[in-house]
Amino acid sequence: MSLKSERRGIHVDQSELLCKKGCGYYGNSAWQGFCSKCWREEYQKARQRQIQEDWELAERLQREEEEAFASSQSSQGAQALTFSKFEGKKTNEKSRKVTTVKKFFSTSSRGGPKKEIQEAKAASPSINRQASLETDRVSKEFIEFLKTFHKTGQEIYKQTKSFLEVMYHKRELSIEEQSECMQDFYQNVAERLQTRGKVPPEKMEKVMDQIEKYVMTRLYKYVFCPETTDDEKKDLAVQKRIRALHWVTPQMLCVPVNEEIPEVSDMVVKAITDIIEMDSKRVPRDKLACITKCSKHIFNAIKITKNEPASADDFLPTLIYIVLKGNPPRLQSNIQYITRFCNPSRLMTGEDGYYFTNLCCAVAFIEKLDAQSLNLSQEDFDRYMSGQTSPKKQESEPWAPDACLGVRQMYKNLDLLSQLNERQERLMSQAKKLEKDLIDWTDGIAKEVQDIVEKYPLDLKPPSQPLAAIDSENVENDKLPPPLQPQVYAG
Amino acid sequence: GGAGASGGRAYSFKVVLLGEGCVGKTSLVLRYCENKFNDKHITTLQASFLTKKLNIGGKRVNLAIWDTAGQERFHALGPIYYRDSNGAILVYDITDEDSFQKVKNWVKELRKMLGNEICLCIVGNKIDLEKERHVSVQEAETYAESVGAKHYHTSAKQNKGIEELFLDLCKRMIETAQVDERAKGNGSSQQGAARRGVQIIDDEPQGQSSGGCCSSG
Repeated sequence: MSLKSERRGIHVDQSELLCKKGCGYYGNSAWQGFCSKCWREEYQKARQRQIQEDWELAERLQREEEEAFASSQSSQGAQALTFSKFEGKKTNEKSRKVTTVKKFFSTSSRGGPKKEIQEAKAASPSINRQASLETDRVSKEFIEFLKTFHKTGQEIYKQTKSFLEVMYHKRELSIEEQSECMQDFYQNVAERLQTRGKVPPEKMEKVMDQIEKYVMTRLYKYVFCPETTDDEKKDLAVQKRIRALHWVTPQMLCVPVNEEIPEVSDMVVKAITDIIEMDSKRVPRDKLACITKCSKHIFNAIKITKNEPASADDFLPTLIYIVLKGNPPRLQSNIQYITRFCNPSRLMTGEDGYYFTNLCCAVAFIEKLDAQSLNLSQEDFDRYMSGQTSPKKQESEPWAPDACLGVRQMYKNLDLLSQLNERQERLMSQAKKLEKDLIDWTDGIAKEVQDIVEKYPLDLKPPSQPLAAIDSENVENDKLPPPLQPQVYAG
Repeated sequence: GGAGASGGRAYSFKVVLLGEGCVGKTSLVLRYCENKFNDKHITTLQASFLTKKLNIGGKRVNLAIWDTAGQERFHALGPIYYRDSNGAILVYDITDEDSFQKVKNWVKELRKMLGNEICLCIVGNKIDLEKERHVSVQEAETYAESVGAKHYHTSAKQNKGIEELFLDLCKRMIETAQVDERAKGNGSSQQGAARRGVQIIDDEPQGQSSGGCCSSG
């Protein structure tokens, strides 16, 4: 049922609009189907539950850690060397361990539990809440994941936790230094996992991915587009630049994709959606996955159009076109963030790294794009850039290259209508002409007839002799044999 | 440190593919990775990023081949592509003098940006069209030697010289990597090694150690 109505899109049952709690007021999808009042109540409850769970989790973790610490005392000899870097800090921290653990599981690393409760009272469902829920979910997943590694898992947890603590204190440093720390961390962890942790190579990638996810979900809000950099300024510059280039057509870029084919235009739309979605992800690897998904859709579009596997000669222009059409938010910030904080082994030789490199190329191309790179004359380029004229006018397509499907369809229909109108007018004038011809023709005939009638007037002459009988003039009647008489034969 | 890439380790190499539009770069890699030429049944969706696993004398190599956009308008983007690459394959068409000039430009750039760290291969493709040759063998080979590159002749159509080209390149990259490792092994700074240039990943499945890990906890 629900599937059916979803597919139709327009059909909405009256009951679906009402508050899920059945209070009689209308609900809102932004409040998960509740009305504002019920949502506030539900949210408060969920928040309290969440806080409770966080506390429990934190306490459990602390217990686990203490046990692990006690058990590791025996094998301290080997470990002291490995973790010597963190060991000093650990003893210092022992007294305030509880708060530290809790800190990592609270909404913001800055605020203590008190602030949280205040927030709950204020009860404003905001993005912050979503973010903290995601952070908690990721933490739980991470701990669940590490459990499968037993002791090594605990070591990993300790290491990442210490690292987060270190990073927390390094927030004031430049982003390059923080990035350097992150890169060192990836390398150290990987080395330790292999040598001390004895993590089998086939599991290494997964472990590293989980660590990246856990750490970067937490660090995201401090290190993504930080105020200490001009990332934001660059974002705005690129965005403005792309907007100024709205007139660039696929033909100018020699994009080997034919959007007239419905499947191809589908792929183009999907690719644009993917690249825009990148901004909503927090983990560098997830951002990379969006770029890869976008690239696969581009390859599909090329494959359908050209019927052969895409080379870089095909791929890069199409990616540039997709970026120009999509104008993805915070493009530079995302690129910088991935460069600084992604696990380098992924960026270096992997497939994701290749597509990411192409995206960097696309942005670099867009920034430096000039008349020559579009095979235009400087005059044309300047005129298009200043908005004096638009290249679209010379072509048959009147819609903007970034118009949505609906608008395109509308323009197509308008075009069709104007063509129909033209034909209609032609038809009307032809019909009028025909009518006139017909009238002329009847007039002409009438006139001709008139002329003939005038030329040969009808005068009836009286008959010369009266008609006696029909056969009177037939002289040969006499020669005819007499009519047959009935005869009777005796016999 | 050292040249200890023998037991259980694999080299990961990044190789960039450079060449003008119609020189047959795509055909070359598709022939190498899929053993197909102009085939309507090519299953791969794309030929811009391809990988190949090799085993050269017991050394395992993971090759990642990065195709680059060869159009003139994208020329300035080259450095973004070939950063951190271990090898470069520069392809020209033996029937097209211009494409050879293009190769010369790239060589100059690569040497300027990456120095002698990178293994260069200059490849004259389409030797099946020997009659229409416009780049002399002598000239091409002399030039390659003068810039410290190796020269190869290939035909993607007839599957000539391609296997040899990649095998030879891999051997040279392994050598370079080993020299690099030794140099880094002597010095104390090992940290930067894994981040740039060659990466050595331990990916030998070690059944016993994985079991040991899980049971010890």
